Amino acid sequence: MNIAVCIDRVPDTSSRVSVRDGVIDTGSLNMVLNPYDEYALEEAVRLKEQLTGVVVTAFSAGEKDRYDVLRKALAMGADQACLVENGRSEDSLSVAASLGKAMRSHYSGRPDLVICGRESSGCNRAQVPLMLAEMLEVAALGAVTALSIQDDGLRVCREIEGGVEEFLIVPPAVISAEKGLNIPRKTNIKAVMKARKQPVLHIDGSVDDAPGVLYSDFTPVSRERGGKLAETPEDLVRMLQQERRVI
Amino acid sequence: MGFLVLFEQRQGVIKEASLEVWSLVQHLAGIVGETEIFGLVMGDADAAFISKRCSGKGEIHILKDKTFGDYCPRCYAEAAVEMVVRAETEKVFLANTAMGRDLAPRLAMRLDAALASDCVVEAEGAGMLRAKTTMYAGTVSALIRTLRKRTVYSIAPGQCRFEGSAEESVVILENREACLLKPNPVFKEIAYNRDGKDIAESDVIVAGGRGVGSKQNFVMLESLAALLGGAVGASRSAVDEGWRSHADQIGQTGRSVAPKLYIACGISGAPQHLAGIAGAGTIVAINRDREAPIFKAADYGIVGNISEVLPRLERALGGFQGMK
Repeated sequence: MNIAVCIDRVPDTSSRVSVRDGVIDTGSLNMVLNPYDEYALEEAVRLKEQLTGVVVTAFSAGEKDRYDVLRKALAMGADQACLVENGRSEDSLSVAASLGKAMRSHYSGRPDLVICGRESSGCNRAQVPLMLAEMLEVAALGAVTALSIQDDGLRVCREIEGGVEEFLIVPPAVISAEKGLNIPRKTNIKAVMKARKQPVLHIDGSVDDAPGVLYSDFTPVSRERGGKLAETPEDLVRMLQQERRVI
Repeated sequence: MGFLVLFEQRQGVIKEASLEVWSLVQHLAGIVGETEIFGLVMGDADAAFISKRCSGKGEIHILKDKTFGDYCPRCYAEAAVEMVVRAETEKVFLANTAMGRDLAPRLAMRLDAALASDCVVEAEGAGMLRAKTTMYAGTVSALIRTLRKRTVYSIAPGQCRFEGSAEESVVILENREACLLKPNPVFKEIAYNRDGKDIAESDVIVAGGRGVGSKQNFVMLESLAALLGGAVGASRSAVDEGWRSHADQIGQTGRSVAPKLYIACGISGAPQHLAGIAGAGTIVAINRDREAPIFKAADYGIVGNISEVLPRLERALGGFQGMK
């Protein structure tokens, strides 16, 4: 079974994104493997450990600066790493198209299972996995929190507002991993050293499709409100009642 | 150009988030001069309820077919596409819920539409809509320029509090059987287990963070929430500690909520958390650290220990509610 894992490179969640003249200033950011993609990688590697004949390949679309996250994927247990080059990155559609093209050429068809992170912690769109599934013409389910192998397919769960949905998917399929799916392993130094020596494959991901949307006019968001301090709980209740009428 | 609202129902009950989207679309249509408004409910839902809650102009279609009882990605996408084509609508709106996030990209692909996700939409005068979203855990906003004839908008919660239009509703309900889909051999929906209240539908949310101190201490939050008729949520830290389930997590990485009153207990106020409560009416912060960022992001605050403040707050509220 071929499992493809799509990974992204995002600013460390602790780094502060600064904006200059409506554009994100990426120079000062510490870039890391997207946290949701760690769940995706972990799940793929666990499937490899449970079943025989599984090959896990990590795909990332972008420039050579993605070698670091691809090597991390190898250190976590992926068998191969592919850099998808020459694609566009304006929106999710462009990225999904590049990844789709790369997969079709790498597998001469399509993989049995694609696992992505729910979203990138940078752009927060949660679009690539489902768009990729449409392009590969396979079943898909986003934000999966549990996965188990059954005789007749993969049983997957996702959390929704006030409940849990359960589905059975028969591969080929795309799923995206939500927090809670697993606890990603830590990479050990030996695996990191080994990954450093492994080659990274380069695949052409050039696509003609025009992006569907463009993002512009980036502006820092202020969440500040009044911040009025009450001395006592009794004062607070009075304020909420008299000034806001919310209780 | 035609507007279509996709409603979400769970066990026959229309989600509040969908009703918000309907009222937003009525508001936008009024400004841009759009008269063709459609609604689509996939699954059987109470027509009388929809008629009562959906005011304004438009035509709402209810697909009563059993196929649509639970969320079935493929059936929903096919039925929605069919409606878009039949009604010739160019703008499709749905709430950015778990279902909306799963369905919207599929629709955009099938309709060759631009996808403006997790966005707020404003009318920009004649025939123009302007969509904005946030990225980087809600710390940066961005304008979304859509480049297709059609656009799918998934609407962030709490951004569309519009009073129902004063005029008598002229919503037309049409029940119809759905297109008969062949059973799908590769994608079966097994079960939908409702295991609790949807915190996003609560008018009051009492949420706890690491400062609550322990799983047991959440009893105080439960008690306060019960008194206010609200629900209990949690910050990422509290979920990571294992004190609450992931379904209760509020923030950009969990649930975005927009209650009338949000009480943050022992939550420091990470950007991700603040992004998830941006739509809240009134935010109250209770934290023992006077310097915690949550105080600036709140309307009201109290500096103090949760275990001291909450019982007193509950007594004060109880006394007040007793007077009513």
